[in-house]
Amino acid sequence: MQRLLYERFSSKMYGVCLRYAENTEDANDVMQEGFIKVYNNINKFRGEGSFEGWIRRIFIHTAIEHYRKKIKLFNISDLTENTIESDKLNALDSLATKDILNIVNELTPGYKAVFNMHVIEGYSHKEIAEILGITEGTSKSQLARAKTVLKKIIGTRFTNVK
Amino acid sequence: MQDFKEKLYNYETPPPEEIWHHIAGEINDEKVIKMPRHEKNKIVFYAIAAAASLVIIFVGSVFFKKNSSPKYSSQIKTDQQDLLLAQKIKDSAQLNQQILESIINNRKEKKEIVSKEPNKNIDSKMYLTVAGPEGQPVKISPKVATLIISADDGYPPKPLWSKEIRKWQKIMLRNTISPTSANFADLVQLAANKQMYND
Repeated sequence: MQRLLYERFSSKMYGVCLRYAENTEDANDVMQEGFIKVYNNINKFRGEGSFEGWIRRIFIHTAIEHYRKKIKLFNISDLTENTIESDKLNALDSLATKDILNIVNELTPGYKAVFNMHVIEGYSHKEIAEILGITEGTSKSQLARAKTVLKKIIGTRFTNVK
Repeated sequence: MQDFKEKLYNYETPPPEEIWHHIAGEINDEKVIKMPRHEKNKIVFYAIAAAASLVIIFVGSVFFKKNSSPKYSSQIKTDQQDLLLAQKIKDSAQLNQQILESIINNRKEKKEIVSKEPNKNIDSKMYLTVAGPEGQPVKISPKVATLIISADDGYPPKPLWSKEIRKWQKIMLRNTISPTSANFADLVQLAANKQMYND
């Protein structure tokens, strides 16, 4: 039973772990910890929403817990999401998934967590604030800062990008 | 922009195989402790020694119990007693047979047996003293000796005697008690039996 569940979701969840982790070893730890949590709490799944979504949330929470000490969030009040130009980020669309992942992994744990949760997973700033124990404003400013850093990385890697 | 979000959201890659082993070990709460080789050998040696000791103790206890069992020893005692008694009966039967045959075949010997104690009164000469089934002395008339010999249907055949004895046996078997000369009632019964025999 456990083995079947692992075989069904391990590839997807390992992708999630690699997005949040700093390196492969840490991703392996989160992966192991996450599946143990899934097996221990499987009776708590009430059937509300998709099962994959429930498992994914467990893995995201596990990854956040794993890096809570490393994540240092600063409120950058002078930057807002609206001020960030998103045109340079569009350059990521033309890249292969592994290359995108490598670029995102260059972000610091704090930026990466907020970027992944908001941009990729679709969490609201309110939800991110609750999960990370920060204010909504901090979540927004962290995201803005993450985007700025990403644009810089993209600018240096791909000189032809405006 | 949407494209790169979807790419990252759906990103899949197979995890290393060792992760499952760790998870399985954690689920089953298996803790594998690697031991040095000599430690393993030591444990195997102790296990074999313990098993051998247990086997020796078990076999020894079974053997000891069997030998020291009171039931077993009393059984042996009873068997020995039975054997002795059977031997005694067999011996006395053989002796009886020899005496009776000698009486029938040798008149002189018969006289010797009869007159064992010459000082006793003259009535004793009228009886033979033979050993009973359990070795006890039994007095019988010399005339009856021939009857007893004939009762076993042995060789040579004695059809007349055998017929008479069977008749007497039938009469005796009709009685619920075996009459003896010890009391008056038995004497009456014996007389009645004799009457039946004569009839």
